[in-house]
Amino acid sequence: MTRDVRRHGGLEQLLASVLYLGSLLACSIIALGIILSLFNWRKELPSATGMKVVTAGISLLIFLPALRVVLMLGAFVRGRDLLFSGISMLVLVIIVLGATLGAA
Amino acid sequence: MDPAFVAWLIAVSIGASALGGALGMASGIFIVPILTMFGHLEIHAAIIVSIVSVIACSCGSSAPFLKNGMTNIRLAIVLEVATTLGALTGLLLIGVLPVSLLYLVFAVVLGASAWQMNTRRADTFTGVEDSNPRDWASRLRLHSSFSDTNLRREVAYRVQRLPLALVLMYGAGLLSALLGIGSGVLKIPAMDTALRLPIKVSSATSNFMIGVTAAASGVAYYARGDIDAAVAGPIALGSVIGSLIGGRILISVSGAKLRLLFVIVLIVLAIQMALSALGIHVWDKLS
Repeated sequence: MTRDVRRHGGLEQLLASVLYLGSLLACSIIALGIILSLFNWRKELPSATGMKVVTAGISLLIFLPALRVVLMLGAFVRGRDLLFSGISMLVLVIIVLGATLGAA
Repeated sequence: MDPAFVAWLIAVSIGASALGGALGMASGIFIVPILTMFGHLEIHAAIIVSIVSVIACSCGSSAPFLKNGMTNIRLAIVLEVATTLGALTGLLLIGVLPVSLLYLVFAVVLGASAWQMNTRRADTFTGVEDSNPRDWASRLRLHSSFSDTNLRREVAYRVQRLPLALVLMYGAGLLSALLGIGSGVLKIPAMDTALRLPIKVSSATSNFMIGVTAAASGVAYYARGDIDAAVAGPIALGSVIGSLIGGRILISVSGAKLRLLFVIVLIVLAIQMALSALGIHVWDKLS
């Protein structure tokens, strides 16, 4: 029964840390940007710097799941798991296709 | 940025993702109706902000599940092929569908979620069933095990009916991109009825997948420059905070009364969205 079970303990721990620390980092950047924007919200000029920082934090958050797929791809390639390397690659291609679809 | 509006957005998203997380739903199903009704956002803008919130919830809450070995990452990546393809379809559809139809589909999903929450999810997992050793799930080696903290032992499970699950997941990805939700409404039947996973594995794995599914449409909106940072920033911040606290505190609180309260909230939101589909904006008239 356990013969056909594949475990990825090390990869799971890595993904957990990357997702947790990544979302905390994104959160901190967004919080910093919001504080910067709020400081000069009454001024006539739009608080461009603060907004740029917020946007940077949001982009980190959006790309975090894609990074997670890249890490999985790397682990499957290293484990010489050809089929799952292909599947991970396919998911990445679909995400990139979405981005180009949006940019078009 | 108006400080009062920022504070309101953060509070709303903390509430939505903490409570949503405790009940096994992503925050999006609450964020979109709240933003269109009370935040006076146009529905497309609300959907885009909500996608960011869904990504935030998934990334913020998946670590403990991964650490405890509840998430089946092999199964997740296989199903993500279907959900991201669905998300691409949703992206193509969202530009074409009329706004009133979007409201209507959202109302139907809210109604279905209320019904689903009311019937209460039964654990369909009954132990290891015999399955064809040459079926898809066996060939892909998706069967696994997890350590059950209640039984205090390792429980093995086999993944059933993968093709049916892939079809349902394609639909879930489509709804996710179209409405800015995690679409638990389709993921739960896919996980429980088709794959027959133990409930803990099912919750952990679908939570893990939601991030990538939402990111498939998220990167498209980002590339298009459609994300309004002034709204999405506070919402994302609140969602991560909410998902971090939600998973820890609320699991013990979620009793039958909380469930009933949410059924009522979902029905009220469904009616509101259905009225919006007809062009009747109740809240605008009251305020």
